[in-house]
Amino acid sequence: MSLLREMRPDFSWWRSADLRRETVAGWTGALLVIPQAITFAYLAGVAPEYGLYCAVFVALLSSVFGNSAMVGGPNTAVSILLGLTVLPFAGRGSPLFTELVLALSLMVGLIQILFWLLRGAELFRYFSPAAITGIKAGVGVLLITAALEGGLGLSPMTTNFFYEKFYIALASWQDLVNPYAVSISGITIAAGLLLKKRWPRTYILGAVLIGSLAGGGIYGLLGPVQSQLELLGHVTLHGLPLNLPRLGPQHLLFMEQVVPQAIAIAVLGLAQSLVIARDLKARAAKDLDLHKEVFAQGISNALGPFFSAFAGSGSFNRTSVALEMGARTPASGIVAALAVVVIAWVLGPLLAWLPMPVIAGVMALVGIGMIQVKEIRPLRNRVDGPAFLITLLAVIFLSLETGILVAVAVSVGFFVASASRVKLAVSHDGDKEHIVVSGNLFYASLDRLAMQLRNDPTTRTVLDIARVPYCDASALALIESVRRERQLCGGRLDVITA
Amino acid sequence: MLQRDLSRAGAEKRTARRRALRRMTQMLSILFTASALIGWSLPALARPTIEELKARAVLDDYEANIVFGYNIVMQTNKYAGRYAGSSLSCTSCHLRGGTQPEGFPLNVAGVYPKWRAKNGVRNGIGMRIRDCFLYSLNGIMPPEESPEVLAVAAYVSYLSEGEVIGRPPKGWGVPTLPDTGADPNPPRGQAIYQRECVVCHGAKGEGQGPIPAVWGLNSYNAGAGLNNVQKLAGFIWANMPMGNERSLTHQEALDVAAFINLQYRAFDPREGRLKKLAERIYHRLTTIFGQANP
Repeated sequence: MSLLREMRPDFSWWRSADLRRETVAGWTGALLVIPQAITFAYLAGVAPEYGLYCAVFVALLSSVFGNSAMVGGPNTAVSILLGLTVLPFAGRGSPLFTELVLALSLMVGLIQILFWLLRGAELFRYFSPAAITGIKAGVGVLLITAALEGGLGLSPMTTNFFYEKFYIALASWQDLVNPYAVSISGITIAAGLLLKKRWPRTYILGAVLIGSLAGGGIYGLLGPVQSQLELLGHVTLHGLPLNLPRLGPQHLLFMEQVVPQAIAIAVLGLAQSLVIARDLKARAAKDLDLHKEVFAQGISNALGPFFSAFAGSGSFNRTSVALEMGARTPASGIVAALAVVVIAWVLGPLLAWLPMPVIAGVMALVGIGMIQVKEIRPLRNRVDGPAFLITLLAVIFLSLETGILVAVAVSVGFFVASASRVKLAVSHDGDKEHIVVSGNLFYASLDRLAMQLRNDPTTRTVLDIARVPYCDASALALIESVRRERQLCGGRLDVITA
Repeated sequence: MLQRDLSRAGAEKRTARRRALRRMTQMLSILFTASALIGWSLPALARPTIEELKARAVLDDYEANIVFGYNIVMQTNKYAGRYAGSSLSCTSCHLRGGTQPEGFPLNVAGVYPKWRAKNGVRNGIGMRIRDCFLYSLNGIMPPEESPEVLAVAAYVSYLSEGEVIGRPPKGWGVPTLPDTGADPNPPRGQAIYQRECVVCHGAKGEGQGPIPAVWGLNSYNAGAGLNNVQKLAGFIWANMPMGNERSLTHQEALDVAAFINLQYRAFDPREGRLKKLAERIYHRLTTIFGQANP
């Protein structure tokens, strides 16, 4: 029954929604998502249309089925992973590549629904926020490198590690670098960084505008041949881009081979969405059903491919903009999805002349935005610091998928470490020993207590376990055996329980 | 005794030799038939047709790319709409999907890279294809590594199978017409256009459906190779009117070519500047407000 309730779109927020604020937030979100959708489609290796479809349909479905102001749609890390996963199987951007990206998105959605059925939201409670910050910062670095590659035209080159490309670029910059493209990217980034102080949320729009004007000027003065500028090209949008994901033998073979990556993408998408949802829950102190959000993510990604949209997830930056504009319900997400259609349709002809260096600039700006000192600074402690650093380095130097696995491992590791930490307060009262235990007593945390108790079998000890929330059979067995030993040797063990 | 033994041994040796000879001829004949069979079936193995490729359940990346390239060549606006700019497709000039000799056939992979006067640099096949998007399709120049360019390049390689590397294929480009001794005459060309071409290409040169526009903003621009009267005349003489090719005289072909290339068309993008931008905006507005080819 509760499953059915989570599956059903719930419009009970309708009465309490402040529609004027939600509409304003929705339109702002729509303006913001368009450059991001195009950029993320580039990262996923498909035509820009698919990113816009994702910003429309995945966002719409996740808002309709969800129950929060979380804004879904195209997501940086998910897009990068989609592109990287399909890359070995088809030529980037070819029709087969696009079909495989959509098939993979379908898989991701189905896996997320499976997570929902298995009550996977519980699992993400243990995902360390430090590791998530590490992934975010790592993705930020990846984006900045991707932007530099795009700006310098190094993308077809593969190197072992990202920094090697910069050696190549520095060594032969005269042959590789198109000065016009680089200056347009530079202008976009500089404009973005300057505008960020004034408009900390919507600065990307200004950057795109200024970059496009600079690009248009250079293109108009020099023409395509002399400037060698890459343009976005015509974006042909359909109102209802229905699409039956093709599942021929080739696609099934592919799907069989990428199950691990699909799981990684599903986990990453859910992890980001649930961190946002948890944040919303803490902020609005609202009764927010995490299971329902998991289902919303899964169903929107599973149905997305039927509307030519690749997988997405909740977006940190767009959700925070929506919240700041006063969005409190899914209404803003629904408005945003519909507004994207209108804006893309009106701007469509202009988008064709968007210079690709501007897209590279947007990528860099999004990347810079993802590395937030504000979030990283509180992590300077003994648990969060290493978790953050290990995840970050794994993402940068190994790969994003490895980074996710490392993040899971690190979260579980630190959780286990902190759970098995037991504090012993030992005090002496004459010849009587007083031990106060706090922490969980179970097989993994018994060592220190056992050492303390077995120290000298002739002492008289009072063991206070009133503050132990959980005590397993092996701990009881230990206490029993120590007590018997003391009785034999003339000591004594008294246990105080709550 | 001994003699008999010897003669028997000699006879045995002889039969053994004969048997070996027979076995060898058998082997040889089997080998010969097998190689003949393989040789006969090699052309069939060599190059599957596009239809065969499309019917296959699983294509490797090269084959999938060929099919994509073929689709782009046949329906540029549908499959490479991102960079197309006019109503033309590649196959408008590269007739029958680039398989028509003397109709700009596309089996030219062995000729590139080479220097071209047009842009003054060494052109790989990728650069050559990108140029076509910019000039002949009056579109946006796609990047070198864009999937569209790579697909068309794969299709060109597919068509070039069996051609000699470094040597232009038979029927390359279009024929160069001999000197007719007279200048091209546009007014006479107009009369011929009205008589022969107008049925398909329209009174305003606007074309219809798959029949390409021959002037106006939906046709090739002033930087395209066909904007050269000699080249266009060769193309028209060898390939037009379709179904009744080579019915025009050389002089008539020249006259029609001169007439067509005197009509207005989009600017040469090398002239660049803001002119081109203004033209794009004008074209877009006229398309939106229903006057596709004013």
